Amino acid sequence: MFSKLFPDHTSSTWRLVVLQAITIGTSIALCLTLAGWALHRDLDEMGRKVVLDDLGEHAVFYEQEGIAGVEKLFASGMHEDDDVLRVVSAEGKVLFDHSFVAESRFHWPDASHLRKLANVKGLITIEHPENDEHTLIGRVVLNDGAVLWYGRMDAADRLYLSHIRNYLWIAGIAAAVIALIPVFWYGGQVLRPVRSMIASAQELAKGTGDSRLEAPSAVPELRQFATAFNRVLDRNSNLTRELQDANDHLAHELRTPLARIRGNLEAFQDNTKDETAREAALRGIDEIDRATTLVQTILNVRAGEHNALVLHRERTSLRTLLESIIDLYLPSAEDRSQNLRLEAETDSVLEVDTQRLVQAITNLLDNALACTPKGGDIVLRLETTPDLATISVLDSGPGIAKEEMEQIWERFVRGSAAAQSACPGMGLGLSLVRAVATAHGGKTGCRNRDTGGAEFWIQIRG
Amino acid sequence: MTLLLAEDDPELSRQICAWLTKSGHAVTCHANGSDALNTALRQAFDAVILDVNMPGKDGFEIVTALRADNDLVPVLFLTARDSVTDRVRGLSSGGDDYLTKPFAMEELSARLEALNRRYQQSATGQRRIGEWVLDTRQRRLRSSNDFIDLQPRECALLELFLDHEGRTLTKKFLLDKVWDIRFDPGTNVVDAMICRLRRKLDAPGHATCIQTVRGKGYVFKALS
Repeated sequence: MFSKLFPDHTSSTWRLVVLQAITIGTSIALCLTLAGWALHRDLDEMGRKVVLDDLGEHAVFYEQEGIAGVEKLFASGMHEDDDVLRVVSAEGKVLFDHSFVAESRFHWPDASHLRKLANVKGLITIEHPENDEHTLIGRVVLNDGAVLWYGRMDAADRLYLSHIRNYLWIAGIAAAVIALIPVFWYGGQVLRPVRSMIASAQELAKGTGDSRLEAPSAVPELRQFATAFNRVLDRNSNLTRELQDANDHLAHELRTPLARIRGNLEAFQDNTKDETAREAALRGIDEIDRATTLVQTILNVRAGEHNALVLHRERTSLRTLLESIIDLYLPSAEDRSQNLRLEAETDSVLEVDTQRLVQAITNLLDNALACTPKGGDIVLRLETTPDLATISVLDSGPGIAKEEMEQIWERFVRGSAAAQSACPGMGLGLSLVRAVATAHGGKTGCRNRDTGGAEFWIQIRG
Repeated sequence: MTLLLAEDDPELSRQICAWLTKSGHAVTCHANGSDALNTALRQAFDAVILDVNMPGKDGFEIVTALRADNDLVPVLFLTARDSVTDRVRGLSSGGDDYLTKPFAMEELSARLEALNRRYQQSATGQRRIGEWVLDTRQRRLRSSNDFIDLQPRECALLELFLDHEGRTLTKKFLLDKVWDIRFDPGTNVVDAMICRLRRKLDAPGHATCIQTVRGKGYVFKALS
């Protein structure tokens, strides 16, 4: 339900802080409002009781001792500050008046107002004209017809209430600070291990290390996750090793008998005088060599697809490597009247498996030479950034059909351009290119050039 | 040459033995690693051919033991594994060369010759081809009144042919020794380079000195 609350890139710590702030803020505000309201109600109730009690008390004293009794009682109650008392005779003469009208500018209700109020049952509230203080006034009609008014100002109650509110705020803020402790805990025990797991998982994804997820100080769930994940990794690396062993074994088991057959065919070819037999033996030898290469390529592609291609990395200058490849291909290109050239303005020295990389690049060049017409241009290009090298082969052949852009990288798929040209092949060249690039933590791609022809590229990281 | 062969596959061992004997070498054969090591330690050979996977001791162990005994005899590995890691392991354990099965017998001979030559340290700076002299330092063919400049790879290729005069050299061997590439590219890169070299070397109207042996490779025959 909170997933749409935050932008995607907001980290979970910030999300937690925001959610905590909202929850704690709301709770504190709710507590303060509720407590304030309840307190206010209680004080109000208490005020009413006090006014009614005092009213009764003063009435009793009036009945017993007359106005002097009222004065004595009022003076003994130290009510000067916030209580008011007025006794008006039946004739309307003010017999006693103690009010703070002058100081607090409370307007004692005038006679007509009071008369009106006299009909009201219970207590009356008079508002201060300038601030929001109130005076609660009650009245009682005495036996002789005089009316006794008694009132109480709520200034002290308000002061008390505001003090309580302040304390509540302080308590609320302290609670909010304490409530942040889980955020710190979350950062240390959950987020940090998760971050370190992400880092190790990224390393693993690159295929450069054989590391495992580690979360020694994390919460038990994360530790369990790391253990389970590591178990999957262990199983994967076991499978990879088994695949490598199986490949190795298969290659080994196949190569030895092929070697025996080849040896015998060679001996036969060397010793027979029959031209047809010699020719047959020759073709047999040729087929054995092709089969050997084919099996090795299939195994390599398969290993590459499962991230099990064993690389022998060496620090290599890519420009020097490409120069030597150009050097190898130049005579062939010249024989076909094709213009082959190298474009490498920068160099990049990376840890790569030279043999495999050369094989991938020559596969691309083989395709380029096969499909570029006489007089056409073929460019081998190197572009580098500090941690990335892109090797592209640009040809001026028929280009790639749109629907084949992705298919041609698959095993045993030959593009229509290859099928039309007479070049032989099993459709393994590009899948080997992709396998080699993937094993180097890189990728491959192709596009049609605006000027015609196709561009194939390998991108690798050092 | 006197050679020691350790190969546990009886048929392959027989073929190699037959080929090498026919080529005029004296070959001692073993099908077991431990026996091969014992023989190699007792007897001096011009070169040793070792299969990597063998009962008893594997090829790597034999080389390590030989080198530990200060025996610098050239060692060629035969292996059914085409992996760079294995190749590097073989060479770093003290092996000198590496041949992957299946292979052409001619290539085995060429590699043995190369090893033996390196062992004897008989490489010379200048080679004669009829009236021409190959100067490998200047990468130039010189005669009394003319010269031909060679590209670095052309020179390396010619030098290799001169080292193995009369021997049929496979494409695989040439790619390995001249370009350091251990696979055969789809494009006929070697043919094209040989054609180019021929154009430089061959006098008009004369037979070519680098001949193509169909299905096998190329052979260099010195100009008469």
